[in-house]
Amino acid sequence: MSESVNGVAFVILAFASIGGAVGMLTTRNIIHAAFWLLEVMVAVGGLYLLLSAEFLAVVQILIYAGAVSVLMLFVIMLTLRRREDSVRPVEVSIGGGILAAVFGTVMYVAIARYGDRVGEMPIVVPDTAALGELLFTQWALPFEVASLVLLVALVGAVWWSREGDDR
Amino acid sequence: MLSGYWHFVPEALVVAGALAVLFGEFLPGRDKGAAYIAAALAGAAALLVAVGGTGGPMVFGQVEPDSVARFARTGVAGLTAVWALWVAGRGMSDERRRDAVALALFAAAGGMLLCMARDLIVMYIALELSTMPAYILMGYRRRDVSGLEGALKYFLLSMLTSIVMLYGLSFLYGISGSTAFAELSIEGAGVLGLVAVLLTLVGLLAKMSAAPFHYWAPDAYAGAAPASVAFVSTVPKIAGITVIARLLSAIAPDMPTLVTLVAVASVASMLLGNLAALPQSDLRRLMAYSGVAHTGYLLMALAPGTDTGYAAAVFYAVAYALPSMAVMLVAAEEGTEITDLAQLAARRPWLAWSVVIWLLSLIGIPPLAGFFGKLYLFGAAVDSSLWLLVVLGILTSVVSAGYYFRVVREMFFGEPVGVSGEGIASPAATVALVALVAGTVVIGLGASPLLRGLGALLG
Repeated sequence: MSESVNGVAFVILAFASIGGAVGMLTTRNIIHAAFWLLEVMVAVGGLYLLLSAEFLAVVQILIYAGAVSVLMLFVIMLTLRRREDSVRPVEVSIGGGILAAVFGTVMYVAIARYGDRVGEMPIVVPDTAALGELLFTQWALPFEVASLVLLVALVGAVWWSREGDDR
Repeated sequence: MLSGYWHFVPEALVVAGALAVLFGEFLPGRDKGAAYIAAALAGAAALLVAVGGTGGPMVFGQVEPDSVARFARTGVAGLTAVWALWVAGRGMSDERRRDAVALALFAAAGGMLLCMARDLIVMYIALELSTMPAYILMGYRRRDVSGLEGALKYFLLSMLTSIVMLYGLSFLYGISGSTAFAELSIEGAGVLGLVAVLLTLVGLLAKMSAAPFHYWAPDAYAGAAPASVAFVSTVPKIAGITVIARLLSAIAPDMPTLVTLVAVASVASMLLGNLAALPQSDLRRLMAYSGVAHTGYLLMALAPGTDTGYAAAVFYAVAYALPSMAVMLVAAEEGTEITDLAQLAARRPWLAWSVVIWLLSLIGIPPLAGFFGKLYLFGAAVDSSLWLLVVLGILTSVVSAGYYFRVVREMFFGEPVGVSGEGIASPAATVALVALVAGTVVIGLGASPLLRGLGALLG
C-alpha cells in the first residue's frame, strides 16, 4: 500500500472513531449510543489493521464489536421497561468533565514529553501465523487451562440461572 | 523439553473426573455415585502424585514438579478426595451434589497446577482456575439470598484483587522482560520495582485473606453453606502459599524491603485474626478469623526469605488445612452456631473427641501436625532473628486457645438449645472424618522426614 492511500485510510478511520465517540456522547437515545460505540470499535479495529496488527484487529472486531457491544445491547434491551425510557436528556456531569480533563492532560504531557522515544516500526511485523504457532506450542499449557476456566464460568452461569432441582 | 508428560497424569485424572461428573447424567448411582467417582479419582490422583517421582523443568520451563510441588499437590488432591467423599455421604445442603463436586475437582486441578507453576502466565491462569469454582461454591444455595450476597462480595473483591495482581505482574514482566520465575529480576528498578511487587503481593495476600485485606472473608463465609466453606477456605490456601513461596524466592533476593512488607502483613494478620475470633458465636466466622490468623503464621515463615522458611510454610499450609476443613465439616453436620455443638460429647462421643484433636492441632499441641508445623514456622523466624514475630506468634497462639476451648467447653458441658443436628448415619462421611483425624496425627508423627524431603529441593 502506498503512503498516500494509507494516509487517506487513516484520515477516514480517525474521523470515524472520533466522530463516533462524539456521536455517542451527544445522542439522547441510549440504544443509539450503543450503536455509536460499536462504530467506534470497528473504526479502531481498522486503525489496528492499518498498523499491520492483523491479529489485534480481528480480536478487536470479534470481541469488542462482536461480543461486548452485543452484550451491552442485550443488557439495555432486557432492562428497559418501556420504549420511551431509552431516551434521556444529555447530562453534563462535573466529575466526568474533571476526569476527562485529567486524562487529556496526562496524555498530552506524556506525548509531548516522551513522544520522541517511540521506536521505529519494524519493517517486517510478526504475522498472525507466528503468533498462532507460539500460542499452540510454547503457550499451549496456559491456553488449554484457559478453556477450563471458561468452562467453569459457563457451569456457574447455568447453575445460577436454572430454576428447580432436577436430581 | 517435551518429555515427562506423565507428571500431568494426576491433573488429567482430576479434570477427567470433573468432566465425567459434570456431564455423566447416567453414571451409576446418579448424584451420589458421581460424588463417589469424583472422590475415587481425586484419591487416585493424590496417590499417584505421592508415589510418582519428581522432575526438572518441563514445558518450556513453565512448570517444575519438584518435591515441594509433590507435597503440596498430594495435599490438594487428597483433601479434595476427602471432601468429595464427605459430600457423597452427607450431600450439599439440599442441592444437587454433582455440580459442587465437579467444581471442587476443577479447583483442585487448578491448585495442583499452581503448585508446579514456574511462570507468571501459568501461575495467573492456574490461580483463576482454582478460585473461579469457589465463587460458585460460595453461592451454591441458589435460594439463599444472604449466601448469594456473600458470594457476590467474594466474587467482586476476588476479581478486583486479580486485576490488581495482573497489573503488578505486567510491571514485573516489563522490568525483567520475561515471565519465567527464574528470569524475574527487579534489581535496579527502583520505585517501579517496588510498585510491581506491592501490587502483586496485595493481590496474592488478599486471596489468602491476610490482614489488612481480610475483611471479605468473614462475611463471605458466614453466608455460605458450611460444606462449601470447608473446601474454599482450605484447599486453595495450600496452592496459594506454595506459589507465593516460589514467587518470593524468585524476587526476594533483589529486594530486602520485601521482608518488612511480609512481616507487617504477618503481624497484622496474627493480631487481627486471633483477637477478632474471640467474640464470634458463628463457627464459620470463627474459622474465618482463625484462617486470617493462620495466614499470619504462614507469612511469618515467608518473611525471612530463606529456603527452610518456605518449606515450613508449605508444610504448615497442609497441617492447617486438614483440621480446619474437618471442623467446618462438623459444622456442616451439626450446625453453624457454637451452641449447636452443645452436648456433642454425649450424642456422638467419637466425633467430639475428634474435634478436640483437630482444635488441639490448630492451637499447636504436640504430637499433632499443627505443633510441628508451628515449630518449624517459629524456627524459621528465629533463624533470621525476627524475634518480634516469634513472640507475637506464641502469644497469639495462647490467645487462640481461648476461642478454641470455648468450642470444647460447649461440646462437653454446654446446655443444649432446641433440637440440632440430625443423626442419620453416613458411613462415607464417617470415613472422611476418620481420614482427617488420621491425617492430623500421622502428619504430626511423620513431620521430620516429610520436612527434610521438602527442604532438600526448595529454592
